[in-house]
Amino acid sequence: MKYTPFFGCMMTTKYPWFDSSVRKTVASIGLDLVDAEGFTCCPDPIYFQARDKMDWYTVAARNIAVAEDAGHDIITTCSGCTATLSEVNLALKEDEELKEKVNKRLKKIGREYKGSINVRHAVTVLRDDYGLDRVAETVTRPLEGLKVAVHYGCHLLKPSRVMRVDDPDRPTILENLLKAIGAEPIHHDKTLLCCGRACMTDSIPNSMVADIMDSIKNQNADCMGLICPTCFDEFDLGQIVLGRKLKRTFNVPVVYYFQLLGLAQGLTPEEVGLNMHKVKAERLFEMAAA
Amino acid sequence: MSQAEKLPTLKRHKLNFAFREKLNSVPEGFRHNYCYQCSACVADCPANNYSDSFNPRLILLKAILGFEDELIAPGSEIWNCTNCYTCSERCPQDVRPVDVIIALKNLCIREGKAPALVTTVSDSVLESGMTTKVTPLAEKRRSEYGLAAIKSSPVDDIKKILEDD
Ligand code: SF4
Ligand code: SF4
Repeated sequence: MKYTPFFGCMMTTKYPWFDSSVRKTVASIGLDLVDAEGFTCCPDPIYFQARDKMDWYTVAARNIAVAEDAGHDIITTCSGCTATLSEVNLALKEDEELKEKVNKRLKKIGREYKGSINVRHAVTVLRDDYGLDRVAETVTRPLEGLKVAVHYGCHLLKPSRVMRVDDPDRPTILENLLKAIGAEPIHHDKTLLCCGRACMTDSIPNSMVADIMDSIKNQNADCMGLICPTCFDEFDLGQIVLGRKLKRTFNVPVVYYFQLLGLAQGLTPEEVGLNMHKVKAERLFEMAAA
Repeated sequence: MSQAEKLPTLKRHKLNFAFREKLNSVPEGFRHNYCYQCSACVADCPANNYSDSFNPRLILLKAILGFEDELIAPGSEIWNCTNCYTCSERCPQDVRPVDVIIALKNLCIREGKAPALVTTVSDSVLESGMTTKVTPLAEKRRSEYGLAAIKSSPVDDIKKILEDD
């Protein structure tokens, strides 16, 4: 099936190895990602939405309109982009008056938001359009014995009124996708806690990150597995910065789901960029070398 | 200071119901009217669990009573919301507390009372179409991973659609 990928700013500039991991792995499963021309930042759900909600609706609607012209659903790979594009898409589908206001603005550049497509995170597409069995079929190197501490992040699941992906309090989608590649998902005390990135004062996210790291260490997981480059930033680089402040070493490797999928499909740790992480996932290098 | 100790300060304020009208004028701001102060939004709020002062119910109460000076300021507690949306899951009144907090943030911007970071990041979207920078290193890395060069964003389009209607 064809989809229009929306990778977003963070992945495009800071974590290109996530971008390439997604492209390689989903192609093996059968997705056809057809890039569209003319996207901008989603725009970001924290700062840009805080600045002016009407402008946020408008810029997001423009991005959706670009994808509508291509005719396929948008597939997202970052929770932030997922949040913005899904929420705006639903708001405009539900509210005719808002849609008219936005379209009046888009008309100035000859575009129109129609409400003809859906926005879905890549993991949702894997589960719903291809199925866990299809994901499992592409595995040549099952990640047996690998304990992955699941981190959902907020915007795959919430607000559930918009996302409609899974039960936000008892989700199973990531656990099931990990099992499909042979890994062992580990649920820990802070599995559903937010990364805290949006807070303006450091003390709140600092305590949250420290608690999440400790909760993962208590479960003896080999790594943390997640699906958002912003959460990744907060935990990979973030644990180093926080560790310096607290004079502690957390040493919890953080991995993006599509890197794990790539390894399970036989790609090397370097091909999925594991060597680029601040905290190296030693266990994954060992498994790939075995 | 615990939240209970802070409450008496409420008495020193004059009620300002005009603020409710102002909040109603921002997208989703009207939802604050549905709040019946039940506290369902509080227990699982991470910003509440990890600080002594943040409390979504109190933010809603301050909005209802019109504590404008406390809410509309660069140092306002609203900026500590993590945007996790848990409160919207819990609220029985469809207040969507986080959306009211975002409406309050929009008012801060309108009145020039938002933290500088908000404008810096969002300005970058207007100037380059992105929140992050396209550096030579980013381009080099992309080519190492077999990815296409980054195309410049249609910033003129963004400018046009955001001009005053
Ligand atoms: S989104 Fe709601 S639950 Fe989350 S930090 Fe903000 S007020 Fe608390
Ligand atoms: S916002 Fe909703 S959950 Fe929170 S106190 Fe008001 S009615 Fe209750």
